[in-house]
Amino acid sequence: MNYTPPSLPILRVDRLTLYFDDGQTKALNGVDLDIHEGEFVAIVGPSGSGKSSLLNVIGTLDMPTSGEVVFRDQPYSRIKDFSLFRRKNIGFVFQSFNLIPTLSALDNVIVPTIGCDGSANEYRARAESLLTQLGLRDRLGHFPGKLSGGERQRVAIARSLINQPCMVLADEPTGSLDSANATLVLDMLTGIVKQQGLTLIMVTHDMNISSRSDRIVHMRDGKIEHQQGAAS
Amino acid sequence: MNLFRFALDNLYRRPARTSLTVSAISLGIAAVVALTSIAWGFEASWQKANDARGTDLIVTRIASQNTMPSPFRAEKVQQTLAGLPHVKEVVGLLSEMLTVSDDSPPVFVFGWVYGSYLWEHLKLIDGRWPSDRTEPVVMIGALAAEMLHKKTGDPVEIEGKAFQIAGIFESSAVVENGALLMTLDLAQQITDKPGKVNVLNIKVDAGATEADLRNIKEQVKQALPGFVAITSGELVRNNAVVRISKAMSNATILIAGLVGALVVFNTMLMSINERTREIGILLALGWQRRTIMKLIFSEAMILSLVGGCVGIAIGVGIAWGLEHIELMRGKIDAIFSIPFFFGVLGLSVLLGIFGGAYPAFKAARLLPSVALRHE
Repeated sequence: MNYTPPSLPILRVDRLTLYFDDGQTKALNGVDLDIHEGEFVAIVGPSGSGKSSLLNVIGTLDMPTSGEVVFRDQPYSRIKDFSLFRRKNIGFVFQSFNLIPTLSALDNVIVPTIGCDGSANEYRARAESLLTQLGLRDRLGHFPGKLSGGERQRVAIARSLINQPCMVLADEPTGSLDSANATLVLDMLTGIVKQQGLTLIMVTHDMNISSRSDRIVHMRDGKIEHQQGAAS
Repeated sequence: MNLFRFALDNLYRRPARTSLTVSAISLGIAAVVALTSIAWGFEASWQKANDARGTDLIVTRIASQNTMPSPFRAEKVQQTLAGLPHVKEVVGLLSEMLTVSDDSPPVFVFGWVYGSYLWEHLKLIDGRWPSDRTEPVVMIGALAAEMLHKKTGDPVEIEGKAFQIAGIFESSAVVENGALLMTLDLAQQITDKPGKVNVLNIKVDAGATEADLRNIKEQVKQALPGFVAITSGELVRNNAVVRISKAMSNATILIAGLVGALVVFNTMLMSINERTREIGILLALGWQRRTIMKLIFSEAMILSLVGGCVGIAIGVGIAWGLEHIELMRGKIDAIFSIPFFFGVLGLSVLLGIFGGAYPAFKAARLLPSVALRHE
């Protein structure tokens, strides 16, 4: 079934190829994909199908071997400072949370703002507000070791949003959670993303989760096998 | 939360390694502080002693490089010097390091020409001065009196000869405070060096200029082959012991600097290897490479500055301890100053810069995707 985009593309992926470090194995093999403003795209597929590799290239964590990614008319090949680009445009949520164990929940959320221009008090207020929105008002001073898996992932979601990105990339965000926490975290992530009008690209194995997306991109062997609107 | 606090947290979470690194740096810095302050103090205390006496030029053998130049017959040299223009007074000085009792460390014993200007800067705090050049009495410096547990009227045996302590004096120079003083005639007698002195001290008249002093030096060179006229500063700077102690202090600075930088380097490199994944997270979250470098540099700087401060405290303690052990009392006077401490802290900063540079560079060059896969 053909998919009708809801808005203008925020991101255009064009004939993307990525080889693994061995230089022999292709992680991505000519991927073409458009992603639109405010869209929630789920990328699904078996292990080794290239889902995370695609997310890494979209997130500028990996450089493609060939092909191009264009973000709002800006080709990645012309970006000089990828860190700055990520800070301004992309929020990451990882499967294993990737919180810094020696920092409190609040400080973990503030970490991405270190080195940014702007008021520390403003960042702190924004971090508190995000954590409150995610139901962690009474967990601000807790260290990751004292938080449940669901709480940790909510801290990670708050962290991904602290710099007000326009796009959130989530790699199996519920993969380490039990089903109750997974549902809660997913509700909160999609809710807050929708509320702020952000684009969400999520890699997942879970078809129940992908069914909540606007579009599902099926990958296999480094290629997009097919795409479908989630409702279909 | 800011970069500095984050850097502190990173160090705090590895207390054992942080403490060991700070300890290693502080020991190096302590060695630098102790040796340098003693080397400078050694030089300064001898210069102070010469300056306090009011000597304008010192005549000694050219080859003499010791704190106490080798003795020579004074009479003819003294006569020649006395005839030079602007020379007001020429007085001999003999000094030896001698043991004054079985259970005490050796002390300096000075023999000065009786009634000469050399005595004028001393302050009598107890007893009296010798009544003539042959009276068998000695004067004792305040510090030596304390060290040797002697007071006015006590007997003292020097080189097998018995003397009585006539009085206790005080000087602005620690070398003199820790010494015994007698007339030159007695000193020559007990050391079996009749007519000999280590140096001749020249005092010029009040109207003499720098040019006159240079002229005297030149005339000594021409009229007295094998002798040289130098200022007290030149004498001390040329002194072999001062030069050796300064060379040791410089070598210590170099070694401590290298070891300190290597310690910081090793610690930061290990820390980065352990935190590869975390650095990957920070890069993924949008930290710029320069912010990563600043973080690693901040940690290196904190380590080296804390090590520097602790090292200064330990070094001052070591120097103070050395000043006060029996063997060294009255012979060294460690010198500390605010600029010196800032200099040592500057050395600590250099350790941080050199030790942290490569690790910071390495961390900043990590690829986020590779770092994130690191276990």
